[in-house]
Amino acid sequence: MIHAFVCRCFPIIKRFPLLPAMAFCMAGMAMAGGNGIETSIGKTEGAGASLLPTFMGEAVVTSQIADKVSIVDLHAMKVVGEIDVSGKPAGVAVSPDRTRAYVTTPQAGELVVIGFPSRKIMKRIKVGNGPVGVGVNPVSGVIYVADWYDHTLTVIDPVSLEVTGLVKVGKSPSGVAVTPDGKTVLTADRDSHSISVIDTQSLKRVRSITVGNRPFGLTIDARGKMAYTANVKSNDVSIVDIASGELVATVPVGRRPYGVALAGGYAFSSDQYASSVSVIDLKSRKVIKTIEVGEYPEGIVASPDGRFVYVACWDENTLMRIKVVGLAVDARVEVADGPRAFGAFLR
Amino acid sequence: MKRVYSNLSAALFAGVMALFGGMLAYDSAFAHGPTRQKVTETVTINAPADKVWAVMGNFQDMSWHPAIASTKGEGGNDKDAKRTLTLKGGGVIQEALIKHDPEKMLYKYEITDVDVKVLPVKNYSAMISVKGEGDKSKVTWKAAFYRGYMLNDPPPELNEAAAKKAVTGVLKSGLEALKKKLEGGS
Repeated sequence: MIHAFVCRCFPIIKRFPLLPAMAFCMAGMAMAGGNGIETSIGKTEGAGASLLPTFMGEAVVTSQIADKVSIVDLHAMKVVGEIDVSGKPAGVAVSPDRTRAYVTTPQAGELVVIGFPSRKIMKRIKVGNGPVGVGVNPVSGVIYVADWYDHTLTVIDPVSLEVTGLVKVGKSPSGVAVTPDGKTVLTADRDSHSISVIDTQSLKRVRSITVGNRPFGLTIDARGKMAYTANVKSNDVSIVDIASGELVATVPVGRRPYGVALAGGYAFSSDQYASSVSVIDLKSRKVIKTIEVGEYPEGIVASPDGRFVYVACWDENTLMRIKVVGLAVDARVEVADGPRAFGAFLR
Repeated sequence: MKRVYSNLSAALFAGVMALFGGMLAYDSAFAHGPTRQKVTETVTINAPADKVWAVMGNFQDMSWHPAIASTKGEGGNDKDAKRTLTLKGGGVIQEALIKHDPEKMLYKYEITDVDVKVLPVKNYSAMISVKGEGDKSKVTWKAAFYRGYMLNDPPPELNEAAAKKAVTGVLKSGLEALKKKLEGGS
């Protein structure tokens, strides 16, 4: 099934080679090649409306304490909707055609499927004891959920919305990201201090790569070459060559980094305890600027065009916008209590 | 024969228990994992902010808190400075300074080690600050933490409610004592 999916969708990627290049991070990747599956998924929410996946300019922010998902219009920087999602929502990813958000609820052990533009819950799927990170295959639309307690990656078919596979990974997997070609899914295995590299067709864990201490957030670049982990305990970002499995660089950042976003030749890490975003220049692989943001910055993602980086500040209940040209916060919006937005939260 | 029967019954009992155990394990799938909590307490003190800061702004001196018997540490108010708080009721808390900003009159710190029997929390960090409000000042103490039991199905003494209650108690009693000390002394 998944195999057929992938094969069916590859020609589309070939037809639109620029699409994957638009992907600056997980969010961007979720979008790339998304037109390939419009006939297969999202029938309920007008998925087939456009040939190319259009960026809707919305953030889907999981507000964990409030048990809500806040929808932010990124142009106006205003909350335009709130969805009640019980179970302490944390992780979030978006379908390639952007008509669905997939939200993990660690307390309920479920993956919640939210449809757009209706903003209605379509389904709650039982996945495990501690679902945290979630990623979407940009080619096939397949959903991958990391389970903190079960040390597994759950595979969910986007059409049937049923669990179709389970991959044993390292201890307490958290961040999930898929390469733009849809062939490889990575998990940041927090308590194994490593990344698992999984082949999406065979669902075999082909490699594990040691990174810094307690990797949490995980992001892959637009070319699908490098992976970046935010290492909570060693206060650094690991840069890994996915194909060779080589740890290329370790860049010290602020205290308790949570996630990484990529834009404009920089990597941005959200440093929870430092209340700042560290900006790493990807050529020199050094922090060139530290941007003060709200208390407890967590989920961080770049816009598909790379002009902005958005970061959810858990303690202050804000979503902040960093302008990549100038590297400064230029807008903020208040959201519901305890925003985590762990994953690719733009649609 | 009787013996065989009792053995059988024991085996049966074990089987039932295993089943029951299995059900318990299955049930835990519906229990919940930990969620980070936040607690904020504030107090208005009838004293100027710099006076208040002079009492509570030193990371190496928690003598203003009624639960603390002694503060021992190193590194002063520099980043990564350490302190060990010995509680009057017994037990110690190890803490590290994340940030100290005398201009903004705030400091941030984390607990690096504590027995959950002393304080039922994990991954605790907090910030205490003071702001002038006319001739008065407002002290804000904010903490972020997980419950003391990070696996599924916490015992009641280590669940979210227990963690919140304990932290709220620490913050509230501290701020009340701080107010009393500053207002009583003038």
